Amino acid sequence: MNDNLAPILLVEDRPSDADLTKRAFARSRLLNPIELARDGEEAIAYIDRWEAGEEVPIFILLDLKLPKFSGLEVLRRLKHHPKYSKIPVIVLTTSAEDSDIEEAYRLGCNSYIVKPVEFNKFMEIAVQIEVYWCALNTAAR
Amino acid sequence: MMVVISDRETPLVRTSHIPDSRFETFQSILRLRGLLPLLLWVIGLAILFSPASLHAQSSDRTHRILVLYWDNKDFPGNVKFDESFKAVLQQSPNSRNLEYYPEYMETTRFPGKRQDFLHDYLRQKYEGRSIDVVVATADIPLNFLLQYRADLFPNSPIVFLATTSRGKETLSAGPGITGIIHQSTYRETLELALKLHPNTKQLFVISGSPERDKRYETAARRELSEFTSKVEIIYLTDLPLNELISRTASLPSNSIALYVWQQSVNEQGKLLETFEVLARIAPTASVPIYGMGTGNLGQGIVGGYLQGPDTNGAKLAEITLRILSGTHPQDIGVEGAPKVPMFDWRQLQRWGISEENLPPGSFIGFRVLTFWHQYKWYIAGILTLSLLQTLFIVVLLVERSRRRRARRALAQLNAELEERIATRTAALNNKTRELETFAYSVAHDLKAPLRGIDGYSRLLLEDYFEQLDEEGRSFLKTIHTSTEEMAQLIDDLLEYSRLERRELKSDRIELASLVDTVVEQTRREGSEEQVNFVININGESIVGDANAIHQALRNYVDNAVKFSRKVSAPRIEISSTETPKSVVLSVRDNGVGFDMQYHDRIFNIFQRLNSIEDYPGTGVGLAIVRKSMERMGGRAWAESELGRGATFYLEIPKSLEGEFSG
Repeated sequence: MNDNLAPILLVEDRPSDADLTKRAFARSRLLNPIELARDGEEAIAYIDRWEAGEEVPIFILLDLKLPKFSGLEVLRRLKHHPKYSKIPVIVLTTSAEDSDIEEAYRLGCNSYIVKPVEFNKFMEIAVQIEVYWCALNTAAR
Repeated sequence: MMVVISDRETPLVRTSHIPDSRFETFQSILRLRGLLPLLLWVIGLAILFSPASLHAQSSDRTHRILVLYWDNKDFPGNVKFDESFKAVLQQSPNSRNLEYYPEYMETTRFPGKRQDFLHDYLRQKYEGRSIDVVVATADIPLNFLLQYRADLFPNSPIVFLATTSRGKETLSAGPGITGIIHQSTYRETLELALKLHPNTKQLFVISGSPERDKRYETAARRELSEFTSKVEIIYLTDLPLNELISRTASLPSNSIALYVWQQSVNEQGKLLETFEVLARIAPTASVPIYGMGTGNLGQGIVGGYLQGPDTNGAKLAEITLRILSGTHPQDIGVEGAPKVPMFDWRQLQRWGISEENLPPGSFIGFRVLTFWHQYKWYIAGILTLSLLQTLFIVVLLVERSRRRRARRALAQLNAELEERIATRTAALNNKTRELETFAYSVAHDLKAPLRGIDGYSRLLLEDYFEQLDEEGRSFLKTIHTSTEEMAQLIDDLLEYSRLERRELKSDRIELASLVDTVVEQTRREGSEEQVNFVININGESIVGDANAIHQALRNYVDNAVKFSRKVSAPRIEISSTETPKSVVLSVRDNGVGFDMQYHDRIFNIFQRLNSIEDYPGTGVGLAIVRKSMERMGGRAWAESELGRGATFYLEIPKSLEGEFSG
C-alpha cells in the first residue's frame, strides 16, 4: 500500500463482497488504500471525519442495498454536501432496476455499474474502473 | 153577461163510409166462383159470425156519448175533464166511430132556474138520435139524469162520478148504472208527506172560502183526526190573502203544509180560484206544501195523492169504452175515484226530495230539462274521459318521477360501485406491488451469495491450482457452471417480474431495422455457429414498447439458434405479414421442432421439452415473450412438427390496445 495515494471508499455491507472487491482491485494492480464503510450510517459518518482532517477519497464505490441508511440516501447526502458533492460516486450494485438507475442518476451519481455474479466479469470491471477513474478521469480538487 | 151557446155535437172523427174490406173480398170470391162447395159457405158463415167479426160489425156503427157537466163549459174542472175524457176516447181503436156530445147544466150561472127547461131542451135536441152512454160528471148531473132518465135516455147506460154520500143511492137507481165515487185522500197524502219528511213536528192546513164557513177545516179535522198524536196540526183557515202569504213565508222548520182548498179576493177585488191562491203563496212558502187536487199540481204543491177532473175524466172514459165494447154496466163494479201519487218535479228539486223515495207508480210532472238533464250523459261521458285522461297523466307523471328516482338511485349506486372498485383496485395494486417488490428483493438477495460462491471458487481454482487434483478442479468448474445457471435463472425471473411491473412505452418501431439489430447481436454473440439468416420484412412500422418487442424477438431468435444448432445447415427465416389491425412477425427455423401437443405449454414459465444438458436454458424466455405480447394486446404462438423445425409468431397490434398505453 502506498501512503501517498488517496484512498477509495467502499460502502458495502456484505463482508464477502467487500473482500472480493478488495481482492479484485488488488489483482488489477490498484494500489490506492480501500477504506470500508459497512452501512449507510458509517458512510455518512465519513463526512465528519473528512471535516476533521482525514483524507478525502478519490472516488466512492457505493452499494445501494445497505442497512440503516440506504445507498440512495447516502448518495443524496453526499451530493447535497457543499464541499464533498464533487467526489465521484460509482454505484456498484446488484440491482438493474430502471427505478434504481434513474433515481441514482437523479441524485447525482457519476457512474452506475451492475455487479455481475461471475468473478471473472467482476475482475474486468475492476480493471475498467481503475483505468477510468484513477488514470483517465480528472476529478475536481 | 155573456151567453155562450155550445153546439159541440161534432163527432171526433167523421164516420167513413168505406165498406168493410174483408166482407167485400168475401163477396167478390162468391161472385167469381158461383159453384163453391157447401163447406166453403159454412166456413164463410163461421168467419162472419165469429166474435171478431161481430166486434167489427158493432164497431162499424156510430156510438154516441153524451157527457153532462154541471157547470159551464169554461169552468176549469170541466175543461180538464173534457180534455182527458176525449184523450182516452181518441186512443181507442174505434175512435173514428165515436161521437161526443158535451152538455153543460150551468147551474152556477143560472142558480134559480128550474131544470125542466134543460130537460125539454135535451129531449128536443136528441129526439130520434139514440145515445149509447150518458156520463154524469158530478152529483148534480147525476141527480138530473136519474130524475129524467126514463123520459130522456130510457135505454142508455149511465156512467157517473159521485161523492161518497151519493154512492148507495146511485147504485140502487137501477140497472145500467155504474161509475166511480169520490173519496178524499187526506190520509194517503199526509202519510206520504210524513214519510218524505220524517222529522215533521207541525202540520199547517190551509183552507178557506169567501163565505168563511170553515167547511174545509171541518172536513180536514175529521179526516186528519188520527194524525193528531203524530204531529201538531195548525189550521190556517179563512185568512186574507196577504196574511196567508206572510204566514206561509215564515212557517217554522220541521213543518209542512197541506193545501186543501182556498178561494180569496185579490187586491183588485177579483175572486181568485184555489189554484190561483196557491200560486200566490207557494213561491214564498218556507215549507213544502202538499195537496190533493190535480188542479194544484204545477201551481206550487210538491204533490200528493191527487184527484181531479182529469183523472176522473180518463177513468169514466175507460168505463164508457168498456160498455161500448159490450160489457154490461152491472158487471162493472162501482170503484173509488182514482188517487194517483203525482208530483211536481220542480218542487221535488226545491225541497231536495229524492225521486227514489216516492211511491211506486208515481207520476212526476213539470220536469225542467236543464242543460244538465238534457246533456248529462254527454257531460258525464266527457267528464269521465277527462278524468281518465287526468288519471292517465297522473299515472304517467308518477311513473316518470319514479323513473327519475330510480335513475338517480342507480347513478348513486354506480358511483358507489365505481368508488368501491377503485378502492379495491388500488388495494390490489398495492398488494401486487408489494409482492413484486418482495420478488425483486428476493431475487437480488439470492444473487449476492452466488457472487461469493463464484468468486471464492474462482479464487480457489486460481490461487490453489497446484494443490488441487483433476477431480477437485472439475468440481470447481461444476460449481462455476451451476452458479452461472443460477444467476441466469435469477436474471430471467427478474426480467419476467420487471415486465409485469414496468410501464410500457409507445415507440414507433421500424420492423426492418429492429430485425437487423437482433440478427446482428445474435451473430456477434453466437460466433461459432454459421446460421443462415433469411429476412423477409416489408416496410412495416408499428407502435409499441421497443424494449419489449426487441426482447421478444431476441428470445425467439435465440431459441431458433439454440434448437437448430445440431442441424447441418441451420437456417432461420424472419418474415412479416400485415393484417388490417396488426403485423405478424414469424421466426422460422429448420431445427428439431416440437410435438404440437405442447404448442401452448412451451409458453408457460419453467416449461421445458428438452433436457437441460442438450439445450440449456431456464425455461423463462418464451413465458417472457407471451407476457409482453399480452401486455401489448398482441399474441404469441408457435407451430411445429417434430424434427422439421418450428415457426414462432408474434402478432403486434398496429395501434395502442390492451393494457399498453402511452
